[in-house]
Amino acid sequence: MSGQNYSSTDDAALVKAARRGDMGAFEELVFRHRDPIYARAFSMTRNEEDAVDLSQEAWIKGWQRLGQFQGDSSFTTWMTRIVINLCLDHLRKQKRQRADSIEAMDEESGGVERQMPVVAVNPTAGLERAELRKKIDGALDQLSAEHRTVLVLHEFEDMEYKEIAKTVGCSMGTVMSRLFYARRKMAALLAELKNEENR
Amino acid sequence: MNHVFNMTNEQQLKLQAFLDGELPEREAREILAWTQRDSAAAGLLAELKNTRQAMVNSKPHLNVPESREFYWSKIQNKIQRLEPEAAAAPGVSIFAALRRWLLPAVAVGALAIAGLIAHFNVPKAAVETVADADTPTVETTLANSDATTYRDASEGTTLVWFSYAADETPTQNKKPTAIN
Repeated sequence: MSGQNYSSTDDAALVKAARRGDMGAFEELVFRHRDPIYARAFSMTRNEEDAVDLSQEAWIKGWQRLGQFQGDSSFTTWMTRIVINLCLDHLRKQKRQRADSIEAMDEESGGVERQMPVVAVNPTAGLERAELRKKIDGALDQLSAEHRTVLVLHEFEDMEYKEIAKTVGCSMGTVMSRLFYARRKMAALLAELKNEENR
Repeated sequence: MNHVFNMTNEQQLKLQAFLDGELPEREAREILAWTQRDSAAAGLLAELKNTRQAMVNSKPHLNVPESREFYWSKIQNKIQRLEPEAAAAPGVSIFAALRRWLLPAVAVGALAIAGLIAHFNVPKAAVETVADADTPTVETTLANSDATTYRDASEGTTLVWFSYAADETPTQNKKPTAIN
């Protein structure tokens, strides 16, 4: 099948061909799905270079594990799970390298998020999509990797608490606390950004 | 601004679980009733809902900041380094596939033939009797030799007959010799 035009071939047939060793079919799969896989890596790492490297690593792992793909979920979902796991490993390594973890301090400080006043007015109301994305991006940058990860897995990947706990390797209680903190922090950051603009 | 200071951590997390549809029906009804009579709970729920909505609406659609060719070439190179054989396109090389199956088949065939030849060429007298250690055995160790051995492991005895006298050249007469 090498040298063939795959543009009209569906994912299932491409996966089947790639399993037989057809690199052309696999290249087509990479071409079709590389952007969402990269986007997920970027939303977790917040670093362009790391996101490129991790997404490429995910494709290599994908090639090696093609035999395990059962087709229960879509190919993109399957690949997204691979890149998420690689990003989690990467973030864990990064955390081990940092002696003082700000995130740990946050979590050990005893629920700072509980003390924050409620943001009564929706700070993102009426924003254009592009503008909203820019603001959310800015706020995500200021979250710790742990909080951002839980938020990304819940809001972007539609994962349930239990699934996040299993993926991240923590308890459901930790997932709930992290998600709560992340959302409250996001609300505060978005309100702050809005206030700065109004000044 | 509403304050949530007097809410317990558990209440706040339950409110969030309610928003995310993670509560059983009975508990969900209780939380709903609570948010209807408590403005602080309603305020917190609204904030959480707004943030969630903002996140969902801003799901990023990013593009890989590299050309298709460059991005793919790095993946391809690594795959080829890791699995040079698996990465070879099988459609191009029929000979490679044939080689993969033919070589082991030829090797197995050659071994089988060698085994058969060896089986039929073994001198019949090389080992005449094979028995366990407790059974006395009689064996002629070499074809056309003039010696026959009787061995009894339980008695610790070995007798060897020579078909010629010790001071003669080999003849038809056998004389037992005890070795122990």
